[in-house]
Amino acid sequence: MKTIPLEAYFVVSMILFGLGVLGLIVRRNLITVLMSLELALNAVNVAFVGADAHMGLVEGQIFALFIIALAAVEAAVGLGIIIAIFRYRHVESTDEITDMRG
Amino acid sequence: MVRFLIFLLFSAWAIVSAVGVVTFSNPIYVIIWLLSCLIAVAGIFFTAGAELVGALQLLIYAVAIAVFYVFVLTAVPWEKAVKKDSHYRTEGVLSLPLVLLLYLEMVVVFLLGVVASPEGKFREAIAKIGNAEVVGSVLFTKYFFAFEVVSVVLLVGMIGAVLIGRKESQTYEDDTA
Repeated sequence: MKTIPLEAYFVVSMILFGLGVLGLIVRRNLITVLMSLELALNAVNVAFVGADAHMGLVEGQIFALFIIALAAVEAAVGLGIIIAIFRYRHVESTDEITDMRG
Repeated sequence: MVRFLIFLLFSAWAIVSAVGVVTFSNPIYVIIWLLSCLIAVAGIFFTAGAELVGALQLLIYAVAIAVFYVFVLTAVPWEKAVKKDSHYRTEGVLSLPLVLLLYLEMVVVFLLGVVASPEGKFREAIAKIGNAEVVGSVLFTKYFFAFEVVSVVLLVGMIGAVLIGRKESQTYEDDTA
């Protein structure tokens, strides 16, 4: 279990998290924005589990389980909001939702 | 060494899939790339020795959440989705240096944290009775209250999703245009 260095987990986690943040910024479709958010959450899980394997703890795995559960909640509520936006406003691009512009 | 090679294989798979998630324009291809990335991350969990988290990743993420996204994709008005450009290209190019700066900051913080990382107290227990048993015993004793709070959050999220997604009697027109 000590053959994989901790930095390897963190490098993979950082690359995945950065790609997720980039997807959050550049994506136009609302559903693909949420998919990029799932990518970022997975990157954090990789960091937790990698640190666990390095340090011989189990707290990171427990928090990874919590993150998976909260990602399920976030997907349910976020996709519900997106479907409501589709149904009532007939827009699906992030730059068309300008109701709160001052 | 073999474990490290398997880890590199799954890591390369996950990163290639993540690039596919960010770059492809058709949402169906994006959800397939996301599914591939979730499976690769589950493989990383298995190589790290976290078989419980890996199995739950496969069950909850790669099955339940991915199928949920596919269901929602069927509600997208497709003719409008394929008509417009799928990315903010100039914004992406302009924000790329900031994202790289965020990378750099995370590298520094992580490497500072590696120096200060504490020693493990469960390593012998994990080697003796197995990882999933230790995770379960700690989860249901030390973090039992947090576990119950997560279950309440799941219940609240379910009620909220039902309330948001229900059919309303009137539609709201865009009066800002």
